[in-house]
Amino acid sequence: MSKIGLSMLALLIVPPLSAQNANEILARVDQNLSATNRVMESEMTIHGRRSSRTLTAKSYAEGTKKSFTEYLSPVAEKGTKMLKLEGRLWIYSPATDRIIQISGHLLRQSVMGSDLSYEDLMDDRKLSEIYRAELMGEEQIGERVAWVLELTAVVADAAYPKQKLWIDRERFVPLKQELYAKSGKQLKNVLFQDVKKIEGRWFPCAYVYKDLLKQGKGTEVKINRIAFDQPIPDYLFTKAALKQ
Amino acid sequence: MLAVKLAFKNLIGAGLRTWLTAAVLSFAFVVTVFYNGLLDGWNLQARNDTQAWEIGGGQFWHPQYDRFDPFSLQDAHAGLSLEVQRLVEQKKLAPLLITQATAYSGGRMINVLLKGIDADQRILRLPTSCFKTDSVEIPAFIGRRMAAAMGLKPGDALLVRWRDQHGVFDAREVTIVQIFTANVPSIDNGQIWLALDRLQDMTGLHNQATLLVAATDHQTPIELSGWIFRPPSFLLKEFEEIIRSKKVGSSIIYGLLLAIALLAIFDTQVLSIFRRRREIGTYMAMGMTRSQVIGLFTLEGGAHSILALLLALVYGFPLLRWLALHGIGLPEVADAVGMTMGEKLIPVYSAGMVLFAVALVVVSTTLVSYLPARRIAGLKPTEALRGKVQ
Amino acid sequence: MIHFLLKGVLHDRHRSLLPLIVITLGVALTVLGHAWVNGVLGESFVMSAHFSTGHLKAMTRAYAEEQDQMPIDLALIGVKEIMDELAGIGEVDWAPRIRFGGLIDFPDESGSTRSQGPATGFAVDLLTPGSKEIDRFNLTSSILSGHIPTREEEALITYDFAEKFHIQPGDRFTFFGSTMEGSMAFGNFIVAGTVRFGAEALDHGAILIDLTAGQRMLGMPDAAGEILGFFNNNRYDQKEAQAIADSFNARRSGSTDEFAPLMVTMRDQEGMAQLFDYTHIISAILITAFVLAMSVVLWNTGLIGGLRRYGEFGVRLALGEEKSHIYRTLIYEALLIGLIGSVIGTVVGLALALYLQVVGLDMGDAMRASTMMMPSVIRTQVTATDFWIGFIPGLFSMTLGNALSGLGIYKRSTAHLFKELEA
Repeated sequence: MSKIGLSMLALLIVPPLSAQNANEILARVDQNLSATNRVMESEMTIHGRRSSRTLTAKSYAEGTKKSFTEYLSPVAEKGTKMLKLEGRLWIYSPATDRIIQISGHLLRQSVMGSDLSYEDLMDDRKLSEIYRAELMGEEQIGERVAWVLELTAVVADAAYPKQKLWIDRERFVPLKQELYAKSGKQLKNVLFQDVKKIEGRWFPCAYVYKDLLKQGKGTEVKINRIAFDQPIPDYLFTKAALKQ
Repeated sequence: MLAVKLAFKNLIGAGLRTWLTAAVLSFAFVVTVFYNGLLDGWNLQARNDTQAWEIGGGQFWHPQYDRFDPFSLQDAHAGLSLEVQRLVEQKKLAPLLITQATAYSGGRMINVLLKGIDADQRILRLPTSCFKTDSVEIPAFIGRRMAAAMGLKPGDALLVRWRDQHGVFDAREVTIVQIFTANVPSIDNGQIWLALDRLQDMTGLHNQATLLVAATDHQTPIELSGWIFRPPSFLLKEFEEIIRSKKVGSSIIYGLLLAIALLAIFDTQVLSIFRRRREIGTYMAMGMTRSQVIGLFTLEGGAHSILALLLALVYGFPLLRWLALHGIGLPEVADAVGMTMGEKLIPVYSAGMVLFAVALVVVSTTLVSYLPARRIAGLKPTEALRGKVQ
Repeated sequence: MIHFLLKGVLHDRHRSLLPLIVITLGVALTVLGHAWVNGVLGESFVMSAHFSTGHLKAMTRAYAEEQDQMPIDLALIGVKEIMDELAGIGEVDWAPRIRFGGLIDFPDESGSTRSQGPATGFAVDLLTPGSKEIDRFNLTSSILSGHIPTREEEALITYDFAEKFHIQPGDRFTFFGSTMEGSMAFGNFIVAGTVRFGAEALDHGAILIDLTAGQRMLGMPDAAGEILGFFNNNRYDQKEAQAIADSFNARRSGSTDEFAPLMVTMRDQEGMAQLFDYTHIISAILITAFVLAMSVVLWNTGLIGGLRRYGEFGVRLALGEEKSHIYRTLIYEALLIGLIGSVIGTVVGLALALYLQVVGLDMGDAMRASTMMMPSVIRTQVTATDFWIGFIPGLFSMTLGNALSGLGIYKRSTAHLFKELEA
């Protein structure tokens, strides 16, 4: 049998894409995106109605429950730190030398005028913990072929009860994400770009986050440096570290 | 009695002057009654409107509820006990569920409150029966001011985004089925009204409410465990103070009017005593004591107030009555200040207020008549008879 | 002739003193009443103007659309330049302000969050010597404890807010919100004092800080949410305001920039127009009532003044004076007395009204318990009308009264009038 014929046959005998497969894909994605810990430097460009500005930050994360972020620039933001611990969030401002806890309704506010809320940063669960996936088919995203997954929340408190996720078939990284309200109305849109292989795993190093109900061009995030499984001192994930 | 007759005879004898004075006095009286009636009427109307549209016979608040802090809404809701449900069925309570949301319309985004109210409620005048329609998925009604601010008309749809009790985002289009016109801005600005069961579904807060509105004639026990009763006096406190301060400020206005009228009486009295020295002498010569003569003149001056009241009865009564029946048109003024104000103000004249005005006019007139009359005390009968004044 | 009459008026106290007193009083009351009506009816405008609308307000076009959302991201930039431009315009005091929202965080002893609450903020010029903002916010009398801020790091907070979080003057708090750009804004403040403005919605949670502190905290150097203009005489003049706004806007008519400044008059704001018109009608009714009442009273005074002198007329007729001459002099004298009375009355009335405009009348206890956003001191408002309004009753009514009673001269015989002299 010719090679072509063989691959034809292979195509024929591939079992129909099942729900279990879809969940496996999601697990693979989680594996790619999360790590025991990671250290990264990123920049976020926020397009306001009047002007755009770019913030840079260095962040440390351990698992999904602990993270520490320090803003590096611009000057106004330099030294501002955020600590997330077990679902709680504190912000430290060097100008006032105060640590303020962000809780309740405040979590729903936009972070630095971006299209992300504190809560978006807070939801630290893996996709596979929150959603059950179903494979809907394949689509071409740019030059990549992607699986289209439809995610339905299995927990009551997922901010977005439905998502649509386009996963690169080969690299198991998301290329595009659509976030839906309970009613099925699309609320947000995320585009993942600049997928690079870092320490043996594929990782999207840029994405554009867009709140569809809000006017504006959305928020761009670019990861300049990322390193996985680095030694991070424990004291970094304490409130005391905020003031240092 | 003779003194009274004499006083009136003298007074009427003075003709035009008396009537002019009485006219001014009656005018001051009518204005006083009218203005106070207007403010009382406004107060009563606002109270009635607010009760009819918003607060009923008072509200039972969830302990966490704070009407000025929309963020309190996240936690300010509780399930309805069987007792409450029974009262709701008897139409003695109307539960209201309130949640924060964002509304998007025509490229604009505004923060709104979604208020859920039972379609079958009878306590508030809100057009809740319009929820009973199958033609649209989520029927809603809004107030006239909100409609104007958002540029919405019946049939328009607007996108609303909210979060359920778990913080899950939801967004749907609601359809405006009716726009109501009420004089109460606090149920209108920035609010979208939905059917209670629908909002409970949308938020996942089944059988829950933020507050309970009591029927105006509510016979419910003031104590409902888990709820704090806020009587109308609490809910209307600020408004009543507006009225009170208006009353204080305006009292000066009719005070000045009254002062003008009293000036006329004072003037008349001074003239009377000047021109009627001989008469005074005669009274004294005839055996009247000084204080009797002073009394006579005081009575004469004071009688102006009686004439004034009679006059007021002649023109003021029909005028005030007409105003009370027809009201005073106020085209949409209230919207500007966000106060509860009808399109028409209907003055209300309470017996107490009218009696107070009457007493004010009579007492002040008598007092002002007495002051110049005191000079009589210094007259010697002999000299008075000769027409001399010391 | 006038000289002669004047002499008579001045020397014959019977003839002139009482009518003069009555006219003076009456005219003064009319003037005062007029100024009072304007003052009381203008009161709600004064509060609106001082707290939110100004007599004029400049903001960006975008800000104007969403004013109630306190969108500091749409604030005016280049305030200094705009202020320079405005400096030359009219008798107006310009005050940049920032209205903002955010969170107030009260620390515990260790500096961690003890409690938090949402607050509305006002950043206004509190520190520049001679700033009128302190009066506009009625701070001197609405302060319940502590003092008005004297340093940038001091803030006033509303009494109810302080109560709720158990805060006293001297305590510290941190403001947390957004800067104009959208970054996090932080500011540490010391509570200088607590105030109660009287509007529940505001008293629930508001802070008042100095403009410079606000600008620094909110990342708004040389920016402000709005620039409010107040006429120096504290009186709203629609024509003048419109003219200022029009010329200001005309200079930018070509711009399509949504952040170009836009100036609106007080009347243009928040449905003020209807309230203005309504107040105008009420005021007209009340003024008419006043003038009418006073006219009737002074007409009466004129009548009395004429009657008082019947005896004198008898003598003059007996001496051979023409009836028409007596009548004429009576009218002239009435005019003279009316004029003098009206002038004195207007001066007295204006003085009183001006005094009450500057000092105000403290309605004290009647208003104290009130939580209204109204000062307990009510002020009159003196307008140009006050200068002439008193002359209607003072001069015309008085003369009319005299003229009517003077007709008696023609009706009665000399002998009869002469007899009145004896009376």
